[in-house]
Amino acid sequence: MIASQAVRLVSASPRNRASSRVPHAAPARRSAREQRSRPALLGRTHAVAAVRGASWDLRIFGAAIAAIVFCFALALVYVSQTTALSVAGYDVQQLAAQRDELRRQNSLLEVQSARLDSPARIATDAQRLGMVRARYVPVIPAQPLIAKR
Amino acid sequence: MQTVRPRRLRLLFALFAVASLVLAGRLAYWQTFGRAELLARATDQVRSDLVVAAHRGVIRDRSGAILATTVELRSLYALPKRIPDKDKAARDLGVLLGRDPGPIRAAFDSGAEWLYVQRWLPEATANAIAALNIPGLGFQNEPKRLYPNDAIGASVLGFVNDNGDGVTGIEGYYDAQLRGTDGRLVVERDPANRDLAVGLREAVAPRNGVDLTLTIDLVAQTAAERELAAAMKKEHATSGSVLVVDPTDGSIRALASAPTYDPAAVRVADPEALRDRAIAWPYEPGSTMKAVTIAAALNEKVVKPTDWYNDVGYTVVGGRRLNNALGKAYGPTTVTGILERSLNAGAAWVGQKLGAQRLSDYFLRFGFGKPTGVDLAGEVTGTVRPLAEWYPVDVGTASFGQGVSVSPLQLAMAYAALANGGTLFRPYVVASRRDADGEHRTAPVAVDQVVTPETAAMLRDMLLATVDDGIAHNASIAGFSIAGKTGTAQIAGPDGSYVDDQYVSSFAGFFPADDPKYVVLVVLEKPESRLLGTVTATDAFKGIAQDILRYARIQPDRRP
Repeated sequence: MIASQAVRLVSASPRNRASSRVPHAAPARRSAREQRSRPALLGRTHAVAAVRGASWDLRIFGAAIAAIVFCFALALVYVSQTTALSVAGYDVQQLAAQRDELRRQNSLLEVQSARLDSPARIATDAQRLGMVRARYVPVIPAQPLIAKR
Repeated sequence: MQTVRPRRLRLLFALFAVASLVLAGRLAYWQTFGRAELLARATDQVRSDLVVAAHRGVIRDRSGAILATTVELRSLYALPKRIPDKDKAARDLGVLLGRDPGPIRAAFDSGAEWLYVQRWLPEATANAIAALNIPGLGFQNEPKRLYPNDAIGASVLGFVNDNGDGVTGIEGYYDAQLRGTDGRLVVERDPANRDLAVGLREAVAPRNGVDLTLTIDLVAQTAAERELAAAMKKEHATSGSVLVVDPTDGSIRALASAPTYDPAAVRVADPEALRDRAIAWPYEPGSTMKAVTIAAALNEKVVKPTDWYNDVGYTVVGGRRLNNALGKAYGPTTVTGILERSLNAGAAWVGQKLGAQRLSDYFLRFGFGKPTGVDLAGEVTGTVRPLAEWYPVDVGTASFGQGVSVSPLQLAMAYAALANGGTLFRPYVVASRRDADGEHRTAPVAVDQVVTPETAAMLRDMLLATVDDGIAHNASIAGFSIAGKTGTAQIAGPDGSYVDDQYVSSFAGFFPADDPKYVVLVVLEKPESRLLGTVTATDAFKGIAQDILRYARIQPDRRP
């Protein structure tokens, strides 16, 4: 079924119909088109012929120019990458210095915290504030409490 | 037209040829044999070879409080030629540094290209100086060992000198581990002295020193130092020491020595203060040794606690009369009573029953006369003379702690053995070491079972009675069972004879007596109140014990 439809569609195509109806019109149109495009074809042919006919010197010159441009581009990329790397290196250095300084500050704060936590300092400050040591610390034994429950 | 003669041309050519050859040869030399030298010179202009200092390990107490740490502090340097107004700079610096501007100005004029104005500035001072923005002054970070608790724990910690070397205590004993291994950084630098990211870079990372966690408890240490300082002040004693030991494993919870020093100001410290008397000072222990003598006798079943003798105030040993402390006679007295009343005649009686050989053996077994092996620098062994050198009287005098010398640490460990059931432990101060491989804990080391648990239990009861009913009653604390013994020892002079009216007073005790958790020893050298120096030592013991009981939340084991 599908195959027969396809056959029908192909047979109904206008190009096929035209070619089947006017079998001798095609060569005439083709020759007209060829006449119109002949100068362009001639130009391309000449260029190809010119290249083909060019001397090896010219070819080498062209290749050298291409190679130089390529190398220049490559060098440009390399230099830009190296510069970027150097700049990144300086940034890393700055960040490392910043990190070291923050670590140093952190260590100083740890020492300061330890100083403030020192029992001797707390005792001195407490004494300065008029506090006195407790002579006796009452402790409620757990056993009787449990017994009462 | 004048022509050049071919001969001259040839000569000129030859000259050029020779010059070219010489130049080529020289060039070839620098490219081959001299290459390394040239390369080195060129590299030296841009290469920087730095030592990356290893970070010295941190020392903490058992609860993690920082006892010693190294921090980079800013040191102020000057390039005098670049300071526009030296007078003003010296004046401003003098105000901020709290120094006379004169010497600072003189230093600027000394002709030095570069000099330190002051090293290791406090952060606030450094910030204030930086704010002045004086040309020709700069800062350089330098590592500095800091001790946040100032002089607390100085004896056990030791100190680090300006060269970064640990000298005494933990800093000295563990110096190699604490200091780590320096690294190296070879790098190319630009004219602004910044590292180049592209170029030579060889780095050997530094290996930082190990961090140490001590068995020391900062609260117990503070209490020990406070009570020792108070006792020293009250008695005008020459020196003193306190030890707090955990009898269950031999770990040292506090170690104080007086006179002491501030580790941040070692230069101005009395050299004698640098000596840790708790481990490096041998002394004749006196009556505290009676507990060891009686423990040995009980262990050998020579006596029982209830055995008695008739005390007449003295005894004669080896033809020499040995008196009780005040020459008082007590009549029939039990072995427990010897400790309760601290009777020299009674201790000599027990010593004679035990015999010199066994007494000497037990002294050695309890660790006297040899190093304890504590991980602190500078330990002394004390003296227990070889038996062959003993005179007949020595068995009597040694029984009550004269004629033998011990370190306070040795005596504390002996009491720890009596407290824990008879096991003598090796004392230690470092609980764990933390390095790149992780944490390494110190395992307690039991050196010897010096007496049986039964003997130790009998001794505990006898020492408990000494506090409850005897001479050391001043040490009792309401609600808690305290065991202990006083000691008053005569001091031998340079000629070997005992000095009149100069004593070493001490108290050794442990608590709670039924399940001892702490052993505390207080020693005072030459207290002003002489024979009553033990009262002050006992007071110091009591002050320390009360603090520890509260802090360690130990439940009372008696009705108050």
